[in-house]
Amino acid sequence: MTTFENFRAEAEPPEYSVGRRMIGLARRSGTATIGLAVVVVFGVVALIAPLIIPYDPVAIFTDRLLQPPSATHWFGTDGNGMDVFSRVLYAARYAFGVAVPAVTISVLIGVPLGLLTGYRGGMFDEVTVRFMDSLRVFPLIVLALAVVAATGQSLLNVILIIGILDSPVFVRLVRAEVLQLRSSTFVEAAVATGNPVRRILFVHLLLNSTKGAMAQVAVRAAWAVRIMATLAFFGVGIEAPTPEWGSMIRQGAEYMATGQWWVGVFPGVALILLVLGFNMMGDGLQDLFDPRRRAEKR
Amino acid sequence: MNVSRFLVRRLLLVVPLLVFITFFTFMLTRLGGGDAAALISGPNSTAAELDMIRAELGLDEPLLTQFWIYISSAVQGDLGVSWVNKRPVLTDLIERLPITLELLFWGVGLGALIGIPVGLRAARDHNQRFDQVVRFFSLLGFSIPTYFLGLVMILVFFYFLGWSPPAMGRISLMITPPPAVTNSYLIDGLIAARWEVVQSAFSQLILPVIAMAIIAAAPIIKQTRAIAMDVLSSEYVRTSEASGLSRRVIQSIVARNSMTPIITFIGTELTALIGTASVLEFIFAWGGMGQYGLQAIIQGDFSAVQGYVLALALFSVIVFVVIDLVVVLIEPRADMSA
Repeated sequence: MTTFENFRAEAEPPEYSVGRRMIGLARRSGTATIGLAVVVVFGVVALIAPLIIPYDPVAIFTDRLLQPPSATHWFGTDGNGMDVFSRVLYAARYAFGVAVPAVTISVLIGVPLGLLTGYRGGMFDEVTVRFMDSLRVFPLIVLALAVVAATGQSLLNVILIIGILDSPVFVRLVRAEVLQLRSSTFVEAAVATGNPVRRILFVHLLLNSTKGAMAQVAVRAAWAVRIMATLAFFGVGIEAPTPEWGSMIRQGAEYMATGQWWVGVFPGVALILLVLGFNMMGDGLQDLFDPRRRAEKR
Repeated sequence: MNVSRFLVRRLLLVVPLLVFITFFTFMLTRLGGGDAAALISGPNSTAAELDMIRAELGLDEPLLTQFWIYISSAVQGDLGVSWVNKRPVLTDLIERLPITLELLFWGVGLGALIGIPVGLRAARDHNQRFDQVVRFFSLLGFSIPTYFLGLVMILVFFYFLGWSPPAMGRISLMITPPPAVTNSYLIDGLIAARWEVVQSAFSQLILPVIAMAIIAAAPIIKQTRAIAMDVLSSEYVRTSEASGLSRRVIQSIVARNSMTPIITFIGTELTALIGTASVLEFIFAWGGMGQYGLQAIIQGDFSAVQGYVLALALFSVIVFVVIDLVVVLIEPRADMSA
């Protein structure tokens, strides 16, 4: 009896749990680990920013305009006499504060819509897919700028619009999966035993069809952070003195040709680091969730 | 089915798309209920004045009537008048379009020239040092905001190194522009045989084109690598390897068979890249359609925004049709009935 149990324990696949896979992946994919580390560091900074910043991010020192980096102001001061270091750290709050809810909205719209269109098919599916494809003729960045400019300047608008504009990514991924699974035995069995559509979609299909979509979450977060900063750079959505990277780069832009580089470069580097962190993490997540890519890496 | 019939069918499919696009762009600017009349007349106008302006612009009509007026005049080539500079939007767009296309052409061209060979090589040596370095830089390329890249290039190459002229437009202010033929100073300078024009236009082009190429190269590399990897694992490549063809021959087989999907990809990418070009125009004071459009968005100049977004969509639609046509022409296996 004991031998039999031992045998069963051994037969357990070695990379069964996601946790163990994560460790295995961390060993295999340095990229993903570094990406995760960067995102975590920024996340912690965002959480504790008010405790660690040396100055109020919108406090004005009228006697210290455009000072280069020094011991008192590590990243220098900007044209308003605000401390760039404090502002760069504090801005991490806006990055996460926009990206997290925006991606959540994308998922909350995209996943159910993908399940429904893929499973139901027919007219509803046709119209949804056609609509999403038509939107592809517009550059997303221009669309985001135009929509936010038209609907008014508020952080809530920025979050909603980024979330909505990006939801087709999830619709497509989930829909494609559902289309493949729709005629599989387990779905047929679920239908035959009289499960309502709602249950088939959200119990039977949900977990089986969203792996690819989940792998995209980090990449979409990277995109959300980028778009938010771009909007702010063009003065749309987030107003000027707000400590936000894009809006700080906007202010720094006018000093680039005259050499006060620190005003724009530090927020820009912070922005790139976080976006890169998300992208690297996303790269690793895709390896984790996509067996084809995993096989390719070996 | 011959090519011209294919083209006709493809163009017929575009018509409903264009109607949708026009409707969408129209609604876009009406979404938030921003008041154009208030924008035009300024803060000190009376309610009666506002009503008069609204009536003049047709803003007091129901939305669907407004849309009908817009689309029926759009078909006749009237996209309305910019409320900022009082000029017809269509004239402004047509004048500025070649300027944007010039930047897009050189930038994406250079990006593809770098991206395709690099992607092919990364696929060949996948998981080796070269591939890993390329993958990182491609991720970095995805992560750099266009405007920031442009600004840093100005800082480094204009301010610190002094290699490039100030980023103020497409030609030095000291030089009188050549007579406009194509609106590209580079080509117009050649036509007018004025060397100093060509030289100045070229040196102004370098920075934005390189920035454009960097942004364009990242997705091209990533996609080329993926496509070439697929081709590499195909059976005809395995057969070629097994029958002892040299590495070089196999490389060229892979390259040739990857070309169609790569061209298709670059075509679809152009939709996003013309947005990138717009942003770069803004940074480099380029004065093309992109800068015009972004300024219109910021200033709330609705007619201009509509015209600009419509032009971008039209551009994408045309590119999609052209790409389909190119694929049909170069790819004997392509199915023309689709």
